[in-house]
Amino acid sequence: MRYLKLIKHFIVIAFQDVLAYRMNFWISLLYSLLNLGTGVLGLVILFSHVETVQGWTLASTLALLGVYLTLGALRGLFIGPSLEALAGMDGEVWTGRFDFTLLRPVDVQFLASFRYWRPLALLDLALGLGVLGAAVVQLGQTLTLANLLAFLVALAAGLLTLYAILLAFSALVFWSPGFLFTWLFDALFQMARYPIGLYPGWLRLVLTWIVPVGVMTTVPAQALSGLAAPPILLGSLAVALAFFTVATLLFRTGLRRYASASS
Amino acid sequence: MKQEARGKRQESADQRISESADQRVSGSTDQCSVLSPPSSVLSPQHSALSTSFNINLRGGWALIKKTWLMWVQHRSFFFLLAFGWMIPPLIYLFVWATAAGGASIGGLTRGGFVAYYLVLILVNQLTYSQTNWTVGDTIRYGGMNSLLLRPLSPVFDALSSEVAGKVVYMLFVIPVTAVLALILRPELHLTLTNTLAFIPALALAWALRFFWGYWLALLAFWATRADALLALQDALIFLLAGQVAPTALLPGVLRQASHFLPFRYMVGFPVEVLTGQLDAAGLLAGFAAQVAWLAVAVALFAVMWHAGVKRYSAVGG
Repeated sequence: MRYLKLIKHFIVIAFQDVLAYRMNFWISLLYSLLNLGTGVLGLVILFSHVETVQGWTLASTLALLGVYLTLGALRGLFIGPSLEALAGMDGEVWTGRFDFTLLRPVDVQFLASFRYWRPLALLDLALGLGVLGAAVVQLGQTLTLANLLAFLVALAAGLLTLYAILLAFSALVFWSPGFLFTWLFDALFQMARYPIGLYPGWLRLVLTWIVPVGVMTTVPAQALSGLAAPPILLGSLAVALAFFTVATLLFRTGLRRYASASS
Repeated sequence: MKQEARGKRQESADQRISESADQRVSGSTDQCSVLSPPSSVLSPQHSALSTSFNINLRGGWALIKKTWLMWVQHRSFFFLLAFGWMIPPLIYLFVWATAAGGASIGGLTRGGFVAYYLVLILVNQLTYSQTNWTVGDTIRYGGMNSLLLRPLSPVFDALSSEVAGKVVYMLFVIPVTAVLALILRPELHLTLTNTLAFIPALALAWALRFFWGYWLALLAFWATRADALLALQDALIFLLAGQVAPTALLPGVLRQASHFLPFRYMVGFPVEVLTGQLDAAGLLAGFAAQVAWLAVAVALFAVMWHAGVKRYSAVGG
């Protein structure tokens, strides 16, 4: 309860901060639209030359893009800004400001994951959900309740995996403070734009087991059109929980290594 | 300190102009002692293209060497950046190669797409001008003050980062591309004409992308959030310069736009030249467009620079 109250306060502060800079709203809108436009046009261009790629049609790939944009937006809403403040450029671990975070009387992992919010990411979220809606219409089949539930389960598993991996990459900063591990993940996460079936075998293995991009976007997109069987759903939930546990352990181990930074 | 620096300046022919520069940025004159090589002074009102350019080559070269040494020290950071820039073309390499399968799309086979995109990764990295992003920040945060006080045109600062960057990025990108080429088996038939034409095409592409981005970045003299335009430019390059698909595969309107607008000539054109996608007419038309757009970009750069520096008032110090 106390934690939910804290999150509420974090969000309110973020909104007050954003409202002070109105120009930023329009610029963010421009960035979001550019991101959406290039993504959709990329698919349209590809599928103007071929009907299907490895069984993926324009509609099902569009659904995957919708999942990618939605996940990216949720990440930009709180996970991204919070962990970036910890491990990003001039992050707290590097500058030593992490001391002040550690002094707060709340769980460090909670604070490190939820304290900064970026309300403008709600624009991305709206666009991502819009693409998902358009994709469902394009798919041309009625969305059954079972499919919707499967989709929500898969999306939750995807979000948990995304969070766990970002947390793990951020935790590595305790071992090597100057290196921008989150940027490394950013680069790899872009691969989630397309179904992992489109990549060659060796890369598919990496994207399934090491950086499970497949769990994040491919499985939810399949679930939406009823293609994800229960074993796949359970599997992605298991992957998500396993990554979450490992990432939490890694973060706590890393935390013990933190020795501040002298000025 | 100020006296000493001014004494040196009096030896130069540009005294009058540099004094007005002093007044303009008087908030931070203390910084001017940091760098005062004995040779002449290039005032900010001289454009980078003026005759004083030559005299400053020695100082410019020293700056380039310094920047390069600094960058090599921080190479892991730049390797990371290079890795990030490699990924989008790599994704489209896989997507198109898989889509082509055993057949061909628009005359390109699987191996053809692999070759196209591997060359594109190299060309994109060589022509990408990250300075365009930093110039705006330099103006906004007042870093331009100290650059204007140097007896060198600020364009040397951008050029030195360019040279340093290219060397450091290539240390990463060339080995990675070579390994990818071994794994993915590209089909590339090099002819002498294509290879020879590729070199000027690449050089022009670099110059065009540099000056085009630079004039856009100079808008920061007027608007604080001008970098939104750079993001727009990056999106257009992604769509129209041959990244999302070779420009020959773009649908009607987009293909016409890509041939008319400058973006294809910053990345896609040199790649098409090397991979032999163009006939003689296409080659000539491409070079003509490259030169024409470069002239436009340089002219815009010169105009913006003159007008902008006059308007510039220092921030910070």
